Order: sequence, then structure tokens, then C-alpha cells
Amino acid sequence: MANPIATLQRTAAEYQKMSKKDQKRYITDLILNNALYILMLAFCIYTAIQRPNFLSMGSLGNLIVQVAAYLPMALGIAGCIVLTGTDLSAGRAVGLTAAITGAFLQRIDYANKMLTFLPEVTPFWMFVTLLSVVAIGAVIGLINGFFVAKFSLHPFIVTLSTQLITYGIILWFFDFNNGAPIGGLDEIYRNFLGTPMFYMGNTPVPLYVLYAVLLTALMWFIWNKTVFGKNMFAVGSNGEAAKVSGVNVFLTTMLVHTLAGAMYGYSGFVEGFRSGSIAAGTGANYECDAIAACVIGGVSFVGGTGKISGIIMGVFVLRIIFIALTMLGVSSSSLYIIKGAIILCACALDMRKYLVKK
Amino acid sequence: MEDFRANPDVQEEQVPKFRGLYRHVKISVKALDRIILACIAVILIVMALEMRNPGFTITFDSRGGTDVPAQNQMYGELLDVPETPTREGYLFTGWYKDHACFEQWNVETETIETDMTLYAGWEKLE
Repeated sequence: MANPIATLQRTAAEYQKMSKKDQKRYITDLILNNALYILMLAFCIYTAIQRPNFLSMGSLGNLIVQVAAYLPMALGIAGCIVLTGTDLSAGRAVGLTAAITGAFLQRIDYANKMLTFLPEVTPFWMFVTLLSVVAIGAVIGLINGFFVAKFSLHPFIVTLSTQLITYGIILWFFDFNNGAPIGGLDEIYRNFLGTPMFYMGNTPVPLYVLYAVLLTALMWFIWNKTVFGKNMFAVGSNGEAAKVSGVNVFLTTMLVHTLAGAMYGYSGFVEGFRSGSIAAGTGANYECDAIAACVIGGVSFVGGTGKISGIIMGVFVLRIIFIALTMLGVSSSSLYIIKGAIILCACALDMRKYLVKK
Repeated sequence: MEDFRANPDVQEEQVPKFRGLYRHVKISVKALDRIILACIAVILIVMALEMRNPGFTITFDSRGGTDVPAQNQMYGELLDVPETPTREGYLFTGWYKDHACFEQWNVETETIETDMTLYAGWEKLE
């Protein structure tokens, strides 16, 4: 572990040695490469001045709760991006698994219970549901992975079609409920995810924050300490070379997508609780947030690079920007424009870093 | 012959090459800088436009009842308790977030997060 002060001193010494022109370019590079972080900081300062509430403990708690909800998805999708792919089906996969979670875990005495033949919710039944939705997510991922790995189809095409197919299935599913949102979720399920661990200001920090931390630790382990993780980076940076050196490219690609799918399944399980009543539109466009967070966090579309810490950072940056903007009163319609600009900006930054390094 | 073969190599070195998803992209650092600045400009312009309109508008659709005026509120604030609309032959059951009247809006606890329309719920009197 390098001493940060020593590193800073060394950088300062190198900076002194540069010519005037190089110094200017160094500063420009520094500003541009960190443009999104600087933008976030500017938003934070402005929001803090306009709305002192923004810097309260409650607001920080809200940030942590939101990050915990969006992080698992970003962790899943990051694997696909490391393989120079992407996954557009993520949001709908979350929507489908959330809908199934909701339908399985409605109160037995709920008037509009969707699947009336289901038993009363017990902790065991809840875990069965959790495992089923993770499995359903994994199957969607497996289908994506199979077509990408077997036929080298571009993930954009494969995941776009699974996205649409999944949405169709969601709509079918809601037809059983006459298109109405699924509500009346059982106490056991809500307590499992939502019991406050502690309070920050007056924001309760629910149990699923802890689960998100555990999942992140698990993903860190998979990425850094397992053969599968190393193979994933090898395939991402150069598939041909990986194949030559004996990596099973087919299996690795399949597994990365399946793992991502399992993460969407878990996200759906949490999303069902978060939304309280699940509609057909739940989860729409979530993949955009997850992809943007990954790219901001340095998981490059160039492939083969990325760190778990970067993804966490990316999700935080994106959430801070959104919370600041909403607090300032920016409407959700304009947020879409800003999201689009952020994604393009993050990709441009990603390419710029790659070019300058060369 | 040597020169002919050397030239394309030189050219290839000058045009930056990407791998992965960017492998067909041909772009210079200068163009990228412009894109980055343009994106930031778009974000700031959209923000500036939004700043002129402080708060969110909440409109009330009384669905056949008497009209209820719209409200303008800041993020995180409670709704001012709207006046209760009346409709002949019906009993008002509350304000709902959706047209189908599944989800009720709790005037006392729920805070405003975006522009929205609330729908009046009616129960037919026997």
C-alpha cells in the first residue's frame, strides 16, 4: 500500500520538472479525466447551499439505502462489460423477478391476492421464493450467455431480444392480475429486508444494506480470488489469447452472464420490497443506471479492466448526482436527458483515458 | 516497395486503435474533449432551465367531481391538504396515485418527489 502523501509529493516533484506546455496539458488532463467527479462536487456544493437539508445525516442515510438497492445490479452487469459486452435485459429481468416475488409473497388474507392457491408465507417459503427468483434471473442470464458464447453474437442483439421477451412475459404475468399492481406484501418478507438496523438522522437503514455489503464482498472474492474471475479478465482483454492459453471461453462467458442474471434476480427480490406495489413498469431502464455507474467507475468498454471498488464509487457518484438534482427540483423527465448526457460523457472519458495512456 | 509497405503502418499508428466495444471507433483526443465539454454543457443548461421552475406541480383529477386547484410544492414537502371534491351520488374515498385507484396517497406522511397527478376515488352511494 503506497503512502498517499509520498505519492502526492512525488507527483508534485514530477510536475515541477515539466515544461510550461506539459504543465498546462497535465492540468487539462487532470480536469477532464475527473470531469464527472468535479461536476458531482459542484452539484453537491450548490445543493448544500440551496438546501441545507442535503448535508444532513438523514440524507446520507437515504444515499446509502439507494446505493445498496442499485449496487447488486451494477456488480452483475460489470462482468458483462468486462467481457466487452453489455446487458440490456437487466432492468426487465429485475421487473420480472420483482413481480414473481410479489405474487409469491402476498399476505394470505389480502383481498386482491393474485395466486390464491399459494400457502401462507413462512420464512421457509420466503427462502424458496428468493432461490426461485435468483434461479429465474440466472436462467435469463444463461440464455444471454449461451447465445453470446456459442455463436459469438453481439450481446447488444441477444440481450435486446431477451429484454423484449422478458417484458412480454411480465405483461402476460400481469394479465393474471388484470394488469393491476401487485401489493399486500407479507410481513415476514418485509421484515427480512426492511427491519431497520439503525437510524441515520431519521432515515432507517434497513437490513438489505447489510445483504448488499455481503454480496459485494462475495463478488470481490469471485473477481479477485477465483480462477473464474481471472479467466473473466483474460477473456475480456483478449479472447483469442485466453483460448490459446487454455481458458474455456465458452464456459466463462456463460458463467459471467449467469452470475449477472442471478444478481438481477436478487435485485428483483429487493425491488419488490422497495416499491411496495409492483407494476409492469418496475425495473424499466434500470440497466442504463447500472451501465452508467460501471463506466463512471472505470469498468471500461475496452474490456478486461474494472474493479469492484470502482463500481461502488460509480454507483455512489450517480446516486449523489440524482439525489442532488431531485432535491434541487429537477423533474424526472429532465433527469433522463441528464442521464443520457452522463453516459455519453462517461464513455468519452473512458476512451480519452485509454487514448492518453497509449 | 518498402515505402509502400511502410506507409500504412505509419498511418495505423497515427489513428488511435481501440479494442472491445470501441474497436470501430476512430476519434481524436481533441474531439473527445469537445464531446465531454458538450455533455457537461447540456447537463448544466437542463439544470439552469429547471432551476427557473422551482418545485413540482401536483394536479388533481377529480374524475367527475368538483375541480380542485393544482399545487406547487418543493421536493420533500408534504402536500397542502387539498379541498375535498364533491360529486352527486358518490362518496369521496381519498386521493389515489393511479387512475385505477389502487394506491392511495397519504396526505399526512408522503412527501413529494416529482410532478404528478392524483386521482379522486369515488364510491357509489346506494
